[in-house]
Order: sequence, then C-alpha cells, then structure tokens
Amino acid sequence: MRPFDPYFIWTVIPALLPFLSVTLAVAAGTLFFGSLLGGLLAAGQVGGGRMVRRLAQTYIYLVRCTPPIVMLFIVFYGLPKFFMEAFSLDINAWDKIVYVWISFTLLFAAPISEVMRSSYLAVDHGQYEAAVSIGLSPRQAFFHIMLSQAAVVALPNFGNAVISLMKEGSLAYTIGLVDLIGKGQLIISVHYGARALETYLALTLIYLVLTLGVEQLFSFLEHHFSGLPPSDAAWHPVKPGGEV
Amino acid sequence: MELDYSFLEKTLLLVLLAIPTTLKLTVVSVLAAAPFSLFIALVRLHRRGALLRLVTAYVTFVRGTPIVLQILLVYSLLPSALKAGAAGLGLSVDVFALNPVFYAYAVFTLNTIALLSEVFRSALGNIAPGQMEAALCAGLTKPQAYAYIILPQALVSAMPNLCNLTVNLIKGTSLAFLMTVQDMTATAKIAASYGYNYIEAYLDVFVGYVLVCSVVQCLFHYAERHVGRYRLVRQKQG
Repeated sequence: MRPFDPYFIWTVIPALLPFLSVTLAVAAGTLFFGSLLGGLLAAGQVGGGRMVRRLAQTYIYLVRCTPPIVMLFIVFYGLPKFFMEAFSLDINAWDKIVYVWISFTLLFAAPISEVMRSSYLAVDHGQYEAAVSIGLSPRQAFFHIMLSQAAVVALPNFGNAVISLMKEGSLAYTIGLVDLIGKGQLIISVHYGARALETYLALTLIYLVLTLGVEQLFSFLEHHFSGLPPSDAAWHPVKPGGEV
Repeated sequence: MELDYSFLEKTLLLVLLAIPTTLKLTVVSVLAAAPFSLFIALVRLHRRGALLRLVTAYVTFVRGTPIVLQILLVYSLLPSALKAGAAGLGLSVDVFALNPVFYAYAVFTLNTIALLSEVFRSALGNIAPGQMEAALCAGLTKPQAYAYIILPQALVSAMPNLCNLTVNLIKGTSLAFLMTVQDMTATAKIAASYGYNYIEAYLDVFVGYVLVCSVVQCLFHYAERHVGRYRLVRQKQG
C-alpha cells in the first residue's frame, strides 16, 4: 500500500465535482416526483375513504421497512422484466438515472407524505372555515390559506427528509450510475485501489458541504417565512427538527 | 410476471436463516454505542469548550455523510490502521484474517453513537431542571439522581425515537454486504447470482426486512407501554 497522501485529496476533488450534477439531478428528480406521490398519499390519508386510507397506510408502513438498496435492486431488476412481459417493451436501454428516480420516488414518498399530513393537520381548521366564510371558494381556501401555512410548518421536517434523501441517493452507484461516489469508485480502480482512502475523504468533504448547505438553506427559509429574524436562531438551542 | 417460485421458496428460507446476523449487527451496535452516546449527549447539554466542539464535529460528520461512504471509508482505513497498530505493539496478528463482521460492528457502532446521542440529547433536554434539583434536595447523589430520576423519565420520551433509530439501523445493516458480511441481503444476492434470479431474491429480502421491522416495532410498542409507568402525570396530558 502506498503511503497516505493528503495532497491527492485536493487533486481528486476537481475530477469529482463535474459529477455533482448527477447527484443533484438524482435528488432534484426524486424531490419533484416524490413530493407529487407523497402529496397524493397525504391527500388519501386526510381526505380519502376508509379503503384509500388503509391502502396509503399500508404503503407507508411497507416502505418504512424497506432498505433503500433492496428497493433499488427490485426496481432495477424487476421493472425491465415486468415491462417486457406486460407490454413487450424493452426498457433495458433506459438511462440508469430513471431507475434511480423511480426507486427513490417510491421510497421518499412515504416520509414526505407523513410530513405533509402532519403539517396540514397542524394548521387550525378554523382557518379554512374563516376563509370560506369571507367568500373564498373551497379550492382558494385550500391553496391560499391552508397550504401556505402548512408549508411553513412542514419546512424543518421537509429539510430533514431532503438531507436524508441526498444521503440515501448515494446508493445509486450500486446499480452503475456514475454519480459522485460512482466516479470516486472509477478513480480508485484506475489507481488499482491504491488511492481509496484519499478519494473517500474527498467525497466525504463534498457531501458535508452539500448537507450543511441544504441545512443552512432550510433554516434560512424557515426564519424567512416564520417572520423571525435569523438572529433568533440562537434563541432555539435545539431546533424542532432536532437537526444539528 | 413469471417468477421462479421454487427458487423464491428456497431463498426465503436462506434469507430467514440470515436474520440472526442482521439482528446481531443491530443489537451489538446499539448496546456498544449507548454509553458513548450518553456521554456525548451530556457533553452537548452541559457545554464545555474544546470537548463540546470535538463531539459536535463528530456528530455533524456522521449525520452529514451517507452511511455507505462511512462504510467505504472505515473499511479502507481500519484494516491498515489495525495492522500498523499491531506492528507497532510488536504483535504478530494477521488482521486480514479477521472476520469482516468486526469491521461491520465498528462502522455501525461509530454511526449509531452519533445518531443515538441526538436521541438522548433531545430526551434529556426535555426533562425539567427542577427534577434534578428536587432529587438533589431529597438527598440523592448526582449519579443516583441520574439513575433513578432522570434516565427513567428520559427513556420514556426517547422511546419513539429509539424505535425509529433501530428500524433505520436494521435497514442500514443491509449495506453490510459491502464488507462481505453474510447478512440477509448478501445471502440473497449470492443465491441469486447463480441463476440471475435477482427479482425473486430481492423480494425475499423485502419480506425478511418487513418481518424483522414489524417484530421490532411491536416489541418497542410493548416496551413503550412498559416504561410508561415512569411517565409523569403532567406529561401524559401534554
């Protein structure tokens, strides 16, 4: 084994950074589709009938018990076979990121629906009644009054969910997607495994910057929308979400 | 969709037989992490200069990086570090013959220390300072006050988070196959690789994890009711 070379960490970061866009694309796509599916699940749980509610709860329960890697592999191996036999459609040529999006959307929808549901229930229902009584349509009352307030309540937990999504997204390399970690593995194999520690340290640095950045962003948004000045951050030693 | 049902059944048995490995990884990690986590939680609540900054940096590091990266990092660092350490002490131990499960214990314990310390911190932080003062007034020593007054109450409010942490850890141990540990995921993966029956194998793993997580959640539900007797009447209303 070659000796540890701290300088290599700095030289490998520029080689890794172009693949940051893949990692961010995984997170952004999952965030979008996962929020849609999560919104449907939350709506089913809050406003659906008994059957719909039971279905949504079962889905959330099952997903809560599924390791991300198992979901990723079931989708990656199962979906092409399913499409082949159900629609005689060959989807093996699809980009790997599509499988990643599908798996993490299925996973991410469960916690995000819980965040949405609890934040919606946290808004006083009197708000809705008051809005309707002054002449807003039920739809307007929902979008302008309820949803905007629920969004503010949801922010800290939503931020936590996004951070854990970004961390789980790092598993995408196991099905061969070349994201940050995938590129790192390629670099290591080019060096015949000799620069593993340095490369992993560089990846660690990049991920730390990413997650801390997202956390800062959400804490800024939280204070921006709750009407408190950011200096009040010191007033809450432990934030509601329990985030560091 | 056409599935190979005989393979499905055969592998399900293999996966279920690997459940003890998964549970061992989880239980050992939580138990080994608990004392360190408690220490970190106490340091973070009663802040003290450099030590506080050190443990905060550690918790931030673990919470800010994916667990797969932590596994890769420790697995590429620890064997060489152990070898150097053993050579330094003049021991002739072949660290590369060590069962990889010990590296898995190390990774998951290091990970759990940070996450568990957050659970303890929020649980201990929720206990009114008056409880400690009252205990000291009543003549208990500080360790006694912690053992009989503070910790039992903290345990009650920590229970739901503890359950979440355990379930997440069980799911996290599915990555132990990266360290060639034969847990549920690895067993199924190996069985599948002979005939490319990956879907069947991963469906079995899925069933295995749902089973394990359900049992664990039931146990926590039961434990939560059991420790509920430490709950203060005032807290019950809130």
